[in-house]
Amino acid sequence: MVRFLPARGAVVTAVPSVADLLADPLLGGARTLAGHAGLGRPVRDVTAYRGVLDPVDGHLVLCAAEDATPAYRLDALVRRAQEAGAAALCVTADGTARPPLSAVRLADRLRIPVLWAATDAPFQLALDLTLRVRAPEVTRARTVENLLRRLATRTEGPELIAVARGVLAADVSLVTPDGGAIVGDPVVPDALRPQLAVPQRTPGLLAHPVHAVPFAGHLPGGTAPVTAWLVWPFERTDEDRADTVALGLALLEPFVRSWLAGARTRADHDSAVRRRLLAEVVTGRGTVSREVVEQAVALGWRLEDWHVGLAVHAEEPPAAGQSGTVPEPVVAALARHGVTAQAVAEGDGDWALWCSSGPRPADDEPRLLLRRVRRALAELPADWRLAAGIGRPRQGPGGLADTLTEARNAARLAAARDVRPSVEHTDELGVGRLLAAWQQSDITRAFAETALAPLRDPEHAHLLTTLRVFLEHGGSSAATARALGLHRNTVAARLRQVRERLGVPLDDPSNRLALQMACRALTTP
Amino acid sequence: MSPAPLTAARVPALAAGATLLGSGGGGEVATGALLLSRELAGAPVPLLPAAALVPDTLVVHAGLVGAPDVLAERLADPDDFADAVRTAAEVVGGSAGAVGVIEIGGLNAVVAAVAAARLGLPLVDGDLMGRAFPRIDQTVAAVAGVDPAPLVLVGPGGNTVVVRECSRRLAERLLRANVLALGGAAALAVHPLPAARLAAIGVRGSVSACLGLGDRLLTARDAGGTPEGLADAVGAELLAAGRVEEIVPRQDLTPGWATLTDGRTGAVVRVDLLDEYLAVTVDGVTRAAAPQIIAAVDPSGRRPLRADQLRTGGHLILLRLPPLHTWPSDAAPLVGPLAFGLDLPPPTGPASCSGSALPTGPASCSGSALPTGPASCSGVSSRRTPS
Repeated sequence: MVRFLPARGAVVTAVPSVADLLADPLLGGARTLAGHAGLGRPVRDVTAYRGVLDPVDGHLVLCAAEDATPAYRLDALVRRAQEAGAAALCVTADGTARPPLSAVRLADRLRIPVLWAATDAPFQLALDLTLRVRAPEVTRARTVENLLRRLATRTEGPELIAVARGVLAADVSLVTPDGGAIVGDPVVPDALRPQLAVPQRTPGLLAHPVHAVPFAGHLPGGTAPVTAWLVWPFERTDEDRADTVALGLALLEPFVRSWLAGARTRADHDSAVRRRLLAEVVTGRGTVSREVVEQAVALGWRLEDWHVGLAVHAEEPPAAGQSGTVPEPVVAALARHGVTAQAVAEGDGDWALWCSSGPRPADDEPRLLLRRVRRALAELPADWRLAAGIGRPRQGPGGLADTLTEARNAARLAAARDVRPSVEHTDELGVGRLLAAWQQSDITRAFAETALAPLRDPEHAHLLTTLRVFLEHGGSSAATARALGLHRNTVAARLRQVRERLGVPLDDPSNRLALQMACRALTTP
Repeated sequence: MSPAPLTAARVPALAAGATLLGSGGGGEVATGALLLSRELAGAPVPLLPAAALVPDTLVVHAGLVGAPDVLAERLADPDDFADAVRTAAEVVGGSAGAVGVIEIGGLNAVVAAVAAARLGLPLVDGDLMGRAFPRIDQTVAAVAGVDPAPLVLVGPGGNTVVVRECSRRLAERLLRANVLALGGAAALAVHPLPAARLAAIGVRGSVSACLGLGDRLLTARDAGGTPEGLADAVGAELLAAGRVEEIVPRQDLTPGWATLTDGRTGAVVRVDLLDEYLAVTVDGVTRAAAPQIIAAVDPSGRRPLRADQLRTGGHLILLRLPPLHTWPSDAAPLVGPLAFGLDLPPPTGPASCSGSALPTGPASCSGSALPTGPASCSGVSSRRTPS
């Protein structure tokens, strides 16, 4: 067996020590009254005190509260237990009596732990502890049976983890390969070695891989990828208990795998239904069929309400969104900022969302919504490169199609901005829309191709960028330098080159307008 | 050869010895010692062993019974003791020929001498307890099957209670009830015995032993020195020397205890106590237990400390004094730890103390705890002290 060197204070011992038993759920309610220095003593057996104490080398001696009452009798008992070679003395009591200071001092002096276990079934405790120490396989079998019985009636992930936590009395969690929590608590990523798709036992962490459900075309005998890990972070344990928990995790894995797969399938199906339904609403405009209305109601869509469309485009969508669902973080981030929206994934990284309300939204609602969406998107990973557009409030199924179209157009314009995430609102785009029409006209594009030709080759891309940013920032070199992270002199030098290559002065307003149009036409898709 | 008469010059030694022999109880001796010094001025009291008296001489035992708070505020009248002794002698139809000591530990050692001085009678060199005990039935006379009657109590103003007949079992309760009626403290005369009978059953030579012990303590006090030196000087066994870390007060009749850490060895020491020191347990092993005499001495002033004088943080030297009397083994339920509600393993230790290694057995505590001496605990005494 590979034995890892203890790290970060976590300990795995071969024979259970007193401290290991204290960490066990059996003695979960026990307090250590004294003799903390002896907690590392190995426990080889369990003996119940019956008035006399034969030599009991390495035993945990259990005595009833009466043996330690009146309190002064604990002194003699501690001494006798120590002389008999006991590993520890455990008083089983249901009260919270205070031990005499002399017994505490004596146990500290003799370095023999004195435990106070609150139990109303001392015989059961003695039996369980004996099994735990002498026949760990029995304890393991009991635990496994108990776990299996309880797992059999559960299907949801959080329930499964809760059952495992209860039966194993261990803080089991389900985490992603990078340590993020799916159910339970996250773990430090470097504690896990996700590249090894086998059960792992390192000092401080027990981990069991959860494999993906084998898909069609999966090679027989190959290993399905690990989608998640079942982990148990511990501070100390002995091998028996670690074995028990490891077995429990192995037992738990198929249940969790089944839940993950089921959840995935449901999400895929749900997403497909939504996409088809939205397509029907949009194409049907004002005249949706009764069947569509019924399905929409089933999904919680209120087609007759007022809608505000929100189109979100991710240039680098996260992996989870590729299968046609709107990533959960997007909806969650919006919800955190008070935007409750229906969401449909229309394609890879293209997500249509809308908010519905019975009465017509107030006049300041669009501005408020714009601010909320901006904040929400700012919380999402920057490397998704999000651009979003918001439509005007519209009523009914036809209105939903209209506001979503507006939102898509606004999103397209937002995508032309340099910053990410960028959000635009249709209402704010009166001029923008005019410009957008111009920019997309063939004449403008043709002009742009010609006018900016000297800067179009890749080695002068930086000049084109500088020119575009310079024009977008109102012709200010200082603002341009800030935006590009350059020194102002660099910007001035580049602008000089631009002038030389284009052969037009940049201080003429007409030239600037024409060049700005050209720049925008080139960068708009 | 008879011991030298008791003179005023010997009173400090008597007081010091009596405090040590009180085993932590027996009451405050100093006031009684001052009284005795006055009584003895110019008139020494002869000190005679019971065997040296004419065999049919009537010896009446005198003492003081009551609560320490009352005794501290109301000085006893020596005439009350004299009246009590005379009345007890009259009841048995004779006159007292000598005064006996009920308990050699604590205040009653000097009170008997006060009575003897006031009556002009000799004091018997002996006692009935060999130390201090809280109850009137914890005597060698009771072990020998002798009833205490007649029992005479004289309170302030000459109020006198005479109990002509009473069983050993009831004596304590009768005392308790009557002392309460007499204002919380009274002079007591009890156990009138012919000298020959007393010579057979009494503890012999205890007053001389008390004087000797007091002398040695006073000498050791002047010499200073180590705990071991002190133990050697008074001929006792050193049990522990350390600092009091915690005192758990008694709860009515349930003993409390003090926990010490021995400064020399680091040993954990527990002293069980009620009115007296009942047992000393070192590192979980019982080293001394009643009826052995356990004394606590303040290491700086060499002053014996009563159980009610212990304070958290104070330093102590714990000693086991040589026994004045060997109790028979069947006396264990009466004077052993069980009599105080302590269930302890028998004490172990150096063989020098075989005299009191009592086997423990089933026994019941009588449930009445009125001290015969002024050593009653404050909890009981405050109830008995009239306001």
